[in-house]
Amino acid sequence: MRVNAAFNPYALMLPGLLVSGLIILWPAGQLAILSLSEVNRFGQVAGFNGGANYARVFVDPELYASLWRTVIWTVGVVGGTFVLALPISLALNEEFYGRGLARVLVMLPWAISLAMLSIVGRWALNGESGSLNLILRTLGVIDVNIAWLGQAHTAFPMQIALGIIATLPFTTTIFLGGLSSIPADIYEAARIEGANGRQIFGRITLPMMRPFINIAVILNTIYVFNSFPIIWATTQGGPGNSTDILVTYLYKLAFRFGRIGEAAVLSLVMFAILLIFTVIYARLATRQDEA
Amino acid sequence: MTKLRKSVLLWLGLLPIFAITLFPFAVMGLTAIRPADEVFAAGWLPTRIQWGNFAEMWHATGFGRALFNSLHVSILATLMSLVIAIPAGYALSRFRFVGRTNFRRFLLVTQMLSPIVLVLGLFRILVLFKALDSINVVALLYAGFNIAFSVWMLESYFSTIPRDLEEAAWMEGASPWTALRRVFLPLAMPAITVTALFTFVNSWNEFVIALTFLRSEENYTLPIQILSIVSGRYSVEWHLVMAAALCATLPVAVLFAWMQRYLLRGLTAGAVK
Repeated sequence: MRVNAAFNPYALMLPGLLVSGLIILWPAGQLAILSLSEVNRFGQVAGFNGGANYARVFVDPELYASLWRTVIWTVGVVGGTFVLALPISLALNEEFYGRGLARVLVMLPWAISLAMLSIVGRWALNGESGSLNLILRTLGVIDVNIAWLGQAHTAFPMQIALGIIATLPFTTTIFLGGLSSIPADIYEAARIEGANGRQIFGRITLPMMRPFINIAVILNTIYVFNSFPIIWATTQGGPGNSTDILVTYLYKLAFRFGRIGEAAVLSLVMFAILLIFTVIYARLATRQDEA
Repeated sequence: MTKLRKSVLLWLGLLPIFAITLFPFAVMGLTAIRPADEVFAAGWLPTRIQWGNFAEMWHATGFGRALFNSLHVSILATLMSLVIAIPAGYALSRFRFVGRTNFRRFLLVTQMLSPIVLVLGLFRILVLFKALDSINVVALLYAGFNIAFSVWMLESYFSTIPRDLEEAAWMEGASPWTALRRVFLPLAMPAITVTALFTFVNSWNEFVIALTFLRSEENYTLPIQILSIVSGRYSVEWHLVMAAALCATLPVAVLFAWMQRYLLRGLTAGAVK
């Protein structure tokens, strides 16, 4: 039969290609041009300046400080989430009364936008009557109120904690998906063979969960590495630049300090890092499918 | 171990986790109902519940206008991304063609890219076209950043709808277009609904694009509006801010509680298959 022109797969995909291309490749091209140009703080391009922006970025001590904090931030949030999500998902995978409700309670923070969560954090962590101070004083952990967001060494761990709250539901969901894919008869066979709980966990659950753990960790790494709202809406990277990570530093370079050429270089560097993560993810996801 | 004993132990073990996940909601709720003079008072519960805070918040925070903007941008973004993603998802699930794998790879890369990396480049383009501070342009950007996810999600559901049904309709003399409209689309409706809701929620919650491209207060969406009344003011009326945050969050929390079991599929679809 004659297939209608509208059913040509290329025609069907064209709008998708055009719009995503427009929104991704065009700005990326603009970034490439900016990164090689002398740009004043109003965004006017004054001509090609060779690699001067690149040279400036790579000797900027603030960049290395933010890079280091980005590593701590990403490892802290992804690692902290992993450590919490594994036992939680094991518990939620058991048969028990009220399991449906328990699952909803764990998933709830998913519904709060990062911006709202950060605004709640700002209020709960304030130095006068913030709820955290109230709790810790009631428990006798502290005697005087602490302005948690007032200095980097208390603000940054709190931001990581907010990040963990925000990342937990997604990670738990993936782990639960993994656990439910393990067939029950494997456990039965192991028990008949006399395996104890620890052996079952180490020899069966963990290895079978492996692909799901890999995917959760790499996806979380990508999301958290890129995550802007929590740090911006709580401290804007301050006081000073003391809680800046790469994305907030990039934003400040571009929209506060008017160092647009350098911001473009940093954007491209992050673009490249993300591509590497994405390739790793694609490899892992494909391998899981073949397994 | 009986099931009852096990249930009690698991609930006790999970209690600290619930304390953490419920904490933001408890803070929002308990602050939102406090009378203004008790906001900074120590103590867990307010002496009386001040429901009037919600009405006061509506006027004091410009909630209505921001709510309207958020609805405008989210609905428009959802419609645009569906119009673009449904045909693409259909093509990927029904045809094998040259370039299919590359298209999927391209989508994967676009899904992983966060707007923050491109925001400076986008800013330049929007300045060039004098398109800053426009809700419709922001909606187009949201649609663009949600296409990849929507296509993954739709494709994975579309592939579960048997081809035979459409072919049977062709045999009966229906044109491919009629078969699509009468047979395929009704079956695909649940998937399309979930995908639409997901794009809607993403747009509703989006932060960095709105923060950068919406410049005047009359165009602010809810997250930006609420952040703007918290930042750069000497005294913040926290009971009103928390009432606003709660009102901006609850509708989404209800949607999410209903949607969460569908989400995994799209989120991890990625390069699978």
